[in-house]
Amino acid sequence: MARNDPTDTGGLFIGRRPGTARVHYAAEPEMGTPGRRRIDRLVAMFVLLVEILVCLSVWGPQPVAWLWVGSQIDYLTGSVSAGIAIAFAGMIASLMLTLVLAVRLDAIWKVVRRAAGYDQREGALSRIFMVTAIVAAIAFGFWFLILEGPAPSLAPR
Amino acid sequence: MRRLFNHYRQFSGLPPEEIARELRERRDERRAGEVVFGPELDLARTAWHEPPHPEAVNAATFALRRRMNAYPDPGAREVRELAAERHGVSPSQVAVGHGAAELLQEACAALLHDEGELLVAWPGWGPLPELAQRVGGRPVAVPGERSGDEASGRGSGGIGPLAERAGAQTRAIALSSPNDPTGAPVAREDVRALCERVGERVWVLLDEALADFLERGEHAAGLVAELPNLLVFRTFAKAHAMAGFRIGYVLGPAEMAERLTPSFSVNAPAQAAAAWSLELGDAVIARRRAAAGRERDRLAAALHDTSLSFPPTCAPFVWLSSDAHSGREIAEHLGLRRIKVAAGERWGDERHVRVTLRDSAATDRLVAALRELG
Repeated sequence: MARNDPTDTGGLFIGRRPGTARVHYAAEPEMGTPGRRRIDRLVAMFVLLVEILVCLSVWGPQPVAWLWVGSQIDYLTGSVSAGIAIAFAGMIASLMLTLVLAVRLDAIWKVVRRAAGYDQREGALSRIFMVTAIVAAIAFGFWFLILEGPAPSLAPR
Repeated sequence: MRRLFNHYRQFSGLPPEEIARELRERRDERRAGEVVFGPELDLARTAWHEPPHPEAVNAATFALRRRMNAYPDPGAREVRELAAERHGVSPSQVAVGHGAAELLQEACAALLHDEGELLVAWPGWGPLPELAQRVGGRPVAVPGERSGDEASGRGSGGIGPLAERAGAQTRAIALSSPNDPTGAPVAREDVRALCERVGERVWVLLDEALADFLERGEHAAGLVAELPNLLVFRTFAKAHAMAGFRIGYVLGPAEMAERLTPSFSVNAPAQAAAAWSLELGDAVIARRRAAAGRERDRLAAALHDTSLSFPPTCAPFVWLSSDAHSGREIAEHLGLRRIKVAAGERWGDERHVRVTLRDSAATDRLVAALRELG
């Protein structure tokens, strides 16, 4: 039998790729009843939905909110630079906090999916982040180019 | 609420550190259950376990580098002169050959034609009967009688039965000193008595391959100068640790020495190493003799309260037996512990095993295994 545990191979992965090993539990989990697993499936879907919304917020609502905060700073202090700086720092900070939250939501989603009876090895965060970025980019382009129209310098004469 | 969380918590995968720890524990558990094979300890061979002295190797290397394109000295003059000086004989009474075994076979070929009888003191050097048979001789094993002297390690090894058994067909009598496998030496005076008793028509072939383990003056090689029917065989394979060089010599009457000299001489590196050993190797031999004696004493002390014992010996091996176990049982017990010994069945003896002594680590391992046997 091939020995492919890193403890046996001096840290090398032989015979399988990293991340494809079965999930190791502290003890064999006790599965819930079928009814409970159905509920878990719904809970997992809800958590996934929240995760998607949280990720989407990074590409629209959060920057908009911080731009509004930046404009208020500009109005109150009369300094455009201060407004831009505050808006930029706020965007970065809220992005970090959102990622922390999303990672936790993803972990919860994995656990609930396993409780629902799925062999869930990987989380969905990376894919959600990528898809929401694409969706947000398309939505922004549609809003910018179609709904609002380009800036006067770009508008057709 | 806690129950709810606990239900989900059991589906949390272990972190990598935890997994690694668990895998390590599982691996250790598996390894603990595995049979561990230690390296084999070969105590069945009688060649010295260490390499030759570095100066002997240097001499051989120098000879090889200097004379690789030339034939070696056909008469092995230097080795013959040194051997002759050591044993107090004339150089013409020394023949250098490819080891004592080869010279013994040559002697058998020269003496045992037409199914001549070779009496072999038994137990004796194992391959000798086959060598005699191969050259057309008829080997006859003559069991020795255990005398009081032998019990003290200075016995005759059965000179009486050999002399009595010698008949009209007997051409030669072979015996070894110290005896292989018992380790008992043949007293110098017993050799003289045997040679005189059987008369000049019977040759006495004295195998002194292990004689370097005897104290000086105990061996009988010097008797060659006095006795016309004695051939003494010496090798560099044992105490000189030069088994790979395949070189030895025989001492005997000049005409017989000439007859036993190989047609094509021993190679130059072997001659050079042998010459160095004869000229300057005494201190090394003394150290090896002392080391063998030390391990022999340690083994005897460690076995004194067990059923195992061995007769006093001068050789670097012991002829071990037990009151409670057969030789095969001892050999099998040691074999399971990866210690290889020569079972006495090779000599038709079911009680003994021949165990070669090596260094202190080997003796420790041997003692531990033997004490398990009790």
